[in-house]
Amino acid sequence: MAETPAIISMQQLMLRYKTGKTALAGISLDIAPGSFVYLIGESGAGKSTLMRLFYGDLRPSSGRLTVQQTAMRDASDGEIRQLRQKTGIVFQDHRLLFSRTVFENVALPLRVQGWPMERLVSRVRKVLGFVGLEDRLWSYPEALSGGEQQRVAIARAMTSQPPLILADEPTGNLDEETANRVVDYFMELNRLGATVVMSTHDLRLLDSHPGRVIQLHAGALIADSGAVR
Amino acid sequence: MSDANKIPDALRLRLPGGYSLPPFGLHQILALATVAIALWALGLLWLGMQTARQWVGSWQSEIVFHLYLPQEKAAGLPALQHAVAALPGVAKVSAIDPQEASQRMQSWLGDSGLTQADLASRLPYTLEIAPATEAPELFAALGELAPKHGASINSDEESLANARNWLSELDWVALFVTLILLAATAMIVSNTLRMTVLSRADELALMRLLGAQEWFVRMPFLIEGVVIGGGGALAAWLLLWPIIFGAGHWLAAFSLTLDGLSLLPPLLLCGIIAGAFGAFIATLRTRDDPAEHG
Repeated sequence: MAETPAIISMQQLMLRYKTGKTALAGISLDIAPGSFVYLIGESGAGKSTLMRLFYGDLRPSSGRLTVQQTAMRDASDGEIRQLRQKTGIVFQDHRLLFSRTVFENVALPLRVQGWPMERLVSRVRKVLGFVGLEDRLWSYPEALSGGEQQRVAIARAMTSQPPLILADEPTGNLDEETANRVVDYFMELNRLGATVVMSTHDLRLLDSHPGRVIQLHAGALIADSGAVR
Repeated sequence: MSDANKIPDALRLRLPGGYSLPPFGLHQILALATVAIALWALGLLWLGMQTARQWVGSWQSEIVFHLYLPQEKAAGLPALQHAVAALPGVAKVSAIDPQEASQRMQSWLGDSGLTQADLASRLPYTLEIAPATEAPELFAALGELAPKHGASINSDEESLANARNWLSELDWVALFVTLILLAATAMIVSNTLRMTVLSRADELALMRLLGAQEWFVRMPFLIEGVVIGGGGALAAWLLLWPIIFGAGHWLAAFSLTLDGLSLLPPLLLCGIIAGAFGAFIATLRTRDDPAEHG
């Protein structure tokens, strides 16, 4: 039986900044579709850099990186746009637009993809229902707590049903209980079929919400709990 | 669609394609006013050119040059007339003998105290030359030709010959000033929109991270540029009317009229193009080096 291709695959992946600093050095690993993966490591280990490579905000200096069948080194701007439309991204600072309502924030990926206006509200209402914020559709983000804002960011990331969700320290600013709830949502999305890659400092989550753990140190891969090579 | 799934009117995104226009605030109003002033100056320039063309056009059909041949050289008149007619830019050549010239002079001078015979004996033979519409070199050519036949040219008529050339040069100056004012308009719009772009940098970056096409990101700003440029042009056109009404009575005395309506389409077009171009410049992407973190 043919093996399912990895949703993210890298071979000797390297990123060196123009200043000469090496941010990532020779990382090789595959992430299978449907996995739940933690990226851990100290500050400056390369977690966020690797995340940015996954959605094309940075390009590899050498080596090979393929994300959802897109070869990231040589991908055109158009291919990167296509990839981003198939990728949900959650940031530590959630990057919500405070001058826009929750609806407008969550609908933004759909508007970018050209969804008709009449379908937006029902879709946004549905994903907000998933994160328990259906009643906040017309609120502004500043009226929400930190945990609620992060849930809105999760809703925005999942609204177009992407097969890959990248979460860069989504619990970094949250208390333990709220962080657990946020990771619950990611786990649920994973159960629904999405591949989730989440970078975190919070090692307690690894026990309460088990997944494959990839550890980076100074830009190098030093441990992989789920390596199958 | 049920009421629950309707977007409230206050939030409805009204632009085609779901674009939301950036808020129209003080910056935009100031930019529109500045654009209006620049385009008003442009409109004034065009009005001035319109008037100058009418003024020149009102008498240029009556321009004639005169060559004078002394009576003692009358035998050379046919040769001179033939040579003048052969010059490029000559529409018509008429010979006027001293008797006819003396009749004209009597009618201009009234009671000069001279008899017509006295006048005729003192006047030269005259060639009256009507230039073609485009004959910038004719006066100089006549000036060179006349002495060869013992004739002279009425040098006071050179200013008439030059008037049309000056107008033609003025057209180039007007075009140059037009381009400068349009560039200034584009810069005003560009600076204003650049401020808006910077204030919304997070939103634009987010749109790009979500995979938005460049036109999707830029379209609201292009629309805003067109609104500022077009609105400024309309305001400038309206502000021209006090001038048109004020100067209209005075110019009517010279049989000149100002056509304000004909200025609206070119002003609008220029404002819209300058606004769109300014918006395009304002939304050009700057590539940042990757930040070192993470």
